Amino acid sequence: MIGFTFDGKAYQAHPGDTLAAALLRNGVGLVGRSFKYHRPRGIMAAGVEEPNALVTVGEGGRCEPNTRATDVMVYEGLVARSQNRWPSLQFDFAAVTGLFAKALPAGFYYKTFFGPAKLWLVYEWFIRRAAGLGDAPQLADPDHYSQRAAFCDVLVIGGGRSGLQAACEAAESGQRVILVEQEAVLGGSLLRDSHDLGPDWIEATAARIRRSGGTILTRTSGSGYWEHDLVTLSQKLAEPGQVQTGGAVQRLWHVRAGKVILATGCIERPIAFAHNDRPGVMLSQAVRTYLRRFGVLPGHRVVIAANNDDAYLTAKALKEAGTEVVAILDARPAPAGADLANGVPHYNNAQPLSVKGTRHCLRSVTADVDGASQSWNADLLAVSGGFTPVVHLHMQAGGTLAFDEKAQAFTPAISRQNIETTGSAANPPAAPACPPKGDPKKSFIDFQNDVTLADVDLAWAEGYRSVEHLKRYTTLGMATDQGKTSNMAALARLAEQQGVTIPDAGLTTFRPPYTPVTMGLLAGRTHRDGGAHLRRLALWDAHHAAEPIWQPAGYWKRPRAFPRPGEDLEAASRREAQTVRSAVGMTDVSTLAKFDVSGPDAARFLEIICATSVRKLAVGRGRYTFMLREDGLVFDDGTVWRLGEQRYLLTSSTGGADKMATLLSYVRQVLHPELRVSVVTVQEHYAGIAVAGPKAKAALAALTGAEPPRHMSHSQASVAGVSVHLLGASYSGERAFEIYVEASHAEAVWNACQAEVLAHGGCSYGLDAMDVLRIEKGHVLVGGEVDGRCSPHDLGLAGMLNRAGGFIGAAGLTRPALSAPGRLQLVGLESLSGPIPEGGMLIPFKNAAAEGHVTGSGYRVVDGTPIALALLRGGAKRHGEVVIATSPTRGQHARVRIVAPHFYDPAGERYRD
Amino acid sequence: MIEVAITPLPAAPLHVLELWGNPKAAAARVKKALGFALPETGRSASNGSTTLIRFEPTVWLVEGDLAGIEAALGDDGALTAIGGGIVRVQLQGTGWRTLLMEGGVFDAENPAFGPGCSAATVIDHVPVRLHVTADDSCTAYVPASYSHDMIDFWQIAATVQTV
Repeated sequence: MIGFTFDGKAYQAHPGDTLAAALLRNGVGLVGRSFKYHRPRGIMAAGVEEPNALVTVGEGGRCEPNTRATDVMVYEGLVARSQNRWPSLQFDFAAVTGLFAKALPAGFYYKTFFGPAKLWLVYEWFIRRAAGLGDAPQLADPDHYSQRAAFCDVLVIGGGRSGLQAACEAAESGQRVILVEQEAVLGGSLLRDSHDLGPDWIEATAARIRRSGGTILTRTSGSGYWEHDLVTLSQKLAEPGQVQTGGAVQRLWHVRAGKVILATGCIERPIAFAHNDRPGVMLSQAVRTYLRRFGVLPGHRVVIAANNDDAYLTAKALKEAGTEVVAILDARPAPAGADLANGVPHYNNAQPLSVKGTRHCLRSVTADVDGASQSWNADLLAVSGGFTPVVHLHMQAGGTLAFDEKAQAFTPAISRQNIETTGSAANPPAAPACPPKGDPKKSFIDFQNDVTLADVDLAWAEGYRSVEHLKRYTTLGMATDQGKTSNMAALARLAEQQGVTIPDAGLTTFRPPYTPVTMGLLAGRTHRDGGAHLRRLALWDAHHAAEPIWQPAGYWKRPRAFPRPGEDLEAASRREAQTVRSAVGMTDVSTLAKFDVSGPDAARFLEIICATSVRKLAVGRGRYTFMLREDGLVFDDGTVWRLGEQRYLLTSSTGGADKMATLLSYVRQVLHPELRVSVVTVQEHYAGIAVAGPKAKAALAALTGAEPPRHMSHSQASVAGVSVHLLGASYSGERAFEIYVEASHAEAVWNACQAEVLAHGGCSYGLDAMDVLRIEKGHVLVGGEVDGRCSPHDLGLAGMLNRAGGFIGAAGLTRPALSAPGRLQLVGLESLSGPIPEGGMLIPFKNAAAEGHVTGSGYRVVDGTPIALALLRGGAKRHGEVVIATSPTRGQHARVRIVAPHFYDPAGERYRD
Repeated sequence: MIEVAITPLPAAPLHVLELWGNPKAAAARVKKALGFALPETGRSASNGSTTLIRFEPTVWLVEGDLAGIEAALGDDGALTAIGGGIVRVQLQGTGWRTLLMEGGVFDAENPAFGPGCSAATVIDHVPVRLHVTADDSCTAYVPASYSHDMIDFWQIAATVQTV
């Protein structure tokens, strides 16, 4: 026996029991409360379609709310709790809402919650309190999740008779086969119904599949069908809430299949009548499942109500188990079922009208029999309103459906992908239409969202004609069960109202996942860190030892500042920036995009990419460059260096690295495959160290023992015994160099450089200081000033354009829109009244429309005076004007004077020798 | 638990070889220099000191000795060093195929993907190149910045995998 608890009370289960089976075994009839009216609910089904018995399983970060009790295998120590009740499941205070059901029909909130906007604050409190069922876990999930790919010739979904046969046949013909079954055991309907295949057929067939190399996955469901026969599978390696030592608890499979066979079976439909949601009303096949698979008797005095022959199997099974079946109510006219009743009192033209009972169980069933009302005492009503094929994956694959009149159900028709449906999903049992009887206000069709037949009628009366509108107005089919047991009943009712057939009433969309999946499953192994790998700098260890403040930059983490004891971020950044202005600083620029471009046509290629001229560069020289989109707007910038006769190094921004690589590849392989050029990304091959400041040249000379290259020149040198590239380039406005070293040797070079920088009174600096320095110098930043809306003219770069043209964007530059007045243009801002809010809008006076925004806010390094860069309409001609930089959401405002965007050494004398 | 040992290999010179013109003549010269023909797409070839692995139609990864290759290329191609940006990770053991399915999109379990085969793919969003070196061994070429997390990912996957 296995011990578990439900609402704190200890129970015993048998091995192989689902939680639902175990609760029934222990005589627990009341399992949950309904969403809207808090009506008592029991167990209706035996599979994943269960709409009522939703519980929270597990504890702490492992707890999983809204889990179907029919879809949890009991394990030792399982802790389950009922939901949506207070103070207890037995006495739920909110059940009082049921008394006001007439006032709370479908869409009542649309008619109720209007009025003064401030009243929403009141409504919202109540709505949020009422919304949802189980509570989301508040603690971090301690478990592991896995995602993996798989490829196969044949993927079979459904491990019942048809699925096993199809998988066995395919596997034994030499194909790679994966067979998927959502239950813990194979067999499907064979587990509940007698058959002629022999007692060991399931195990023997599974063994044949495995012997032929097939893979069988139990506790796995096909959650989604995507393009090109890609199917996602959700596999439970541990039960919800179960502690899995050392292993993943769930796995998401991405299976690319040559062919998919759907053997997904049918879902039995409930019948609509008054109070059909009470504990003790159960689907007929579920009764057989509990009886034969689990050895549990859900009731002792049973009435069966159906419109098909299958329900008679339930009567037979119950009789064999010694249970009293007091009546079979067959909605079909005589003689339907007469030959199957097997001595059980049997009534044709009989349909249930209502049931009575307690919170825990049923007491009596009242039915309409040939127009007369008749009642029976019973503690279980087994219902079968027909069968709905599980066509979700077929439809997600783009398939179409046909309506089977005999079964009153949709079956797969045209398949858009390599998909085939077999078994009862393709041929559901016959079950004629039987319009429901009983009070529609108490006849539930969507049990999870408490939607009744009367709600459908109301939606129709209020003008909701489309099934999609009906769905949204009533919330029918929008609960976690996605309407598995309710959609057909609603369609039938809508069709009846419209006076059309069910297919003409329309269908809603089948969306993945088929059954709910956890967020952990979707996040995979990275569910704790936002779903992304961290990119580590080559100098990660060196930086880590210095204990910097880290800054996420895309997937990278870069040092934001290197604070000394007692310094906060601002103090550290200011000290670092001042050190660069007065002595020398060094920083890690390894993340910059870098491309090695070589070959006889390298310069020609680069003059297509870059909007500046390249071929005039002498060997050993470099220049600032920028790149345009085809529409003539700037999208990135960087430098280009001629390292040899036919070899160039192109650098561009960190954030734009992937886009730049894509562009280079596109131009190389699609636009100009004839060029004799090789373009290789070397972003990670080289680590980069920038050394900047008035003492940078001296520090580099001491480091290398040679004269450093002049501004925008390149040389080779040796540092710490390692060959490096030295580039004379400045982003800070000071005399500066970039050292590029093969990344595997970066730490030795960094350490040697740091020793020399410290010896010259310098320090390391981070991204914050770098930003302050570049704002003061007026250098644009991709993602800041270069925001995809500005032309070279707008940014003051037009003078550098290659007059020969031929570059990407050259034609776009001639567009009249790019020379129209009022364009956003780069300007500088000097504050007249305190810090300038970064991102703040620029307005000429209070309450005026925004005319631009602050792209980067900083200060003059020498005295801390606030300055900023901004994009302002017609900004180039507005120097001297005073406007307001304001951020209402932060409550920050400053009066600013518009100036040229170069606050420091506008002539560039400091970085030239 | 997957039967596989995940071991980062020491840094080694790696180059990209790209041919842009006159491919037959260039291929013949390279063959003469190395003693073996340029491998086809998705395959590798080696003479013991130099291994060429073809990942793209006109691009090979060169591992080891470069002697003779540069001269053989002439104006028909180029060699570019990329070794500083790549970490080679050896996946040793019968479970390497299963491991590569974790977070993958490539059919590493296909028996046809055997020794001498190569592939460029994505594993858990990280671009990775694969080279099968033996029935029970595969070398993965991982971008250096991702290598720490990728190795961590594989080690966890190898531990938590229970099927």
